[in-house]
Amino acid sequence: MAARKETRKVAQAWIELKADDLEAASALEVARGQLAAGQHLQRLRRIRLIELEGRLPAREKLEDLLHGSTQFYNPHKERCVVRLTAEESPPLQAGERAVLVTERDGSRRAAAERWWQHETGEKVSVREGTAWALTFDSGAESATAHDLALVRGRRHGLLCNPHSQECRWAEDHVPVPWIQPDGAVSEAAPVRRRSPSTRSKR
Amino acid sequence: MSGPRVAVVQFPGVNCETESVRALERVGLEAEVFRWTRPASELRAYEAYLLPGGWSYQDRVRAGALAAKDPLVDVLAEEADRGKPVIGICNGAQVLVEAGLVPDHGHVELALARNRMTDRGGYYARWIYARVESSPCVFTRHLEPGTVLPLPIAHGEGRFTSEDPERMPALLRAGQVPLRYAHPDGTAAENFPANPNGAQAAAAAVCNSRGNVLAMMPHPERAQDLGALARDIGGPWSERREQAMATGQADAEGPGLALFHGLKRHLEG
Repeated sequence: MAARKETRKVAQAWIELKADDLEAASALEVARGQLAAGQHLQRLRRIRLIELEGRLPAREKLEDLLHGSTQFYNPHKERCVVRLTAEESPPLQAGERAVLVTERDGSRRAAAERWWQHETGEKVSVREGTAWALTFDSGAESATAHDLALVRGRRHGLLCNPHSQECRWAEDHVPVPWIQPDGAVSEAAPVRRRSPSTRSKR
Repeated sequence: MSGPRVAVVQFPGVNCETESVRALERVGLEAEVFRWTRPASELRAYEAYLLPGGWSYQDRVRAGALAAKDPLVDVLAEEADRGKPVIGICNGAQVLVEAGLVPDHGHVELALARNRMTDRGGYYARWIYARVESSPCVFTRHLEPGTVLPLPIAHGEGRFTSEDPERMPALLRAGQVPLRYAHPDGTAAENFPANPNGAQAAAAAVCNSRGNVLAMMPHPERAQDLGALARDIGGPWSERREQAMATGQADAEGPGLALFHGLKRHLEG
């Protein structure tokens, strides 16, 4: 009997709200209003990045599976762009700089992995991070973007607290995979975050 | 009432302000909610500050991250530098950590990261035991080191951590971890569930070196009534609770008020 051929792959799902993203709007407002490095920030977008790694089906089936569960995204509220290779363009616009923020040792999504195995029989790893797409005035230097991303003090940095998070900049291209694998598995299911008002207060 | 005045600073999304005011008033302090819409300079009129729990700015970007940049926090930082006490509870602690007011004013040296628990993740709520450590903290220094307080926690991001693995142990040695997660007998709890989030050094709270700014994840304001204690709490607090319930005094003073008494003692010099 011929050995079953392993076809381990990585797929990226870039997921963005169709409506105005209030989280990005708040971050933009605070960056521009309170941080020196944010003075030249013109635009800020937040894109959830999910990466699946393992024996994955062909693109059409993969897209159907992602579309089929809010473990990944809600097609009524969000749009999803799938990338299978680094040669495919990510949904970034001309002039945007992208930084990926992930929780250190906490990017794995156990519930999504269980859902995938239930649906397909395949064990895959599912990781998630947040890609921020920043557009600056033409005069802004590269260091400005880095200052804006990495939190160092009350007036320095916003998007990534380096004591619990990692950030990685996309330079000439966005790699596949982009999220660094880690062993920790998180149960968090951020796609269908309940409104804070419906959770127990803390 | 005419005790020292404490501002309970409310950012949008904060939701523990009412019980925080009540806890402060019960120990004889004058407290009022100070909303984010007021001029920041008006904060200077108060003798102390409390940042209550909740979801400031809906936890956008990261818990506490946006409130930490609010101009109100600039005034809090200046007043803290003058020695005025500031306590942040749960989301308030996240704000203080993200603002760099603890462990010391200036750089952000810590994070309150997502909980790390056995076989689960996300939001977690339960009663824990917090052991008082020797510390200059104005909220706890009147308590005997080793005292165990049952307090509730309720959070998804409460794990005190630093990218420098030596930072939290150094803070513990310096007396800047005034409360640690513990077992009922008072031994420090390194593992879940007694340590409910995987905090380094079993830290339930971190203060600045001067001791006047405290970031704590447990909710002392929710443990102000004996009747609120969980029924499976053991030890002397259980006996007090049963006694209070038997005599119809469910609102008798609970363990959480100890920290507010510490604040009052400090303010009255």
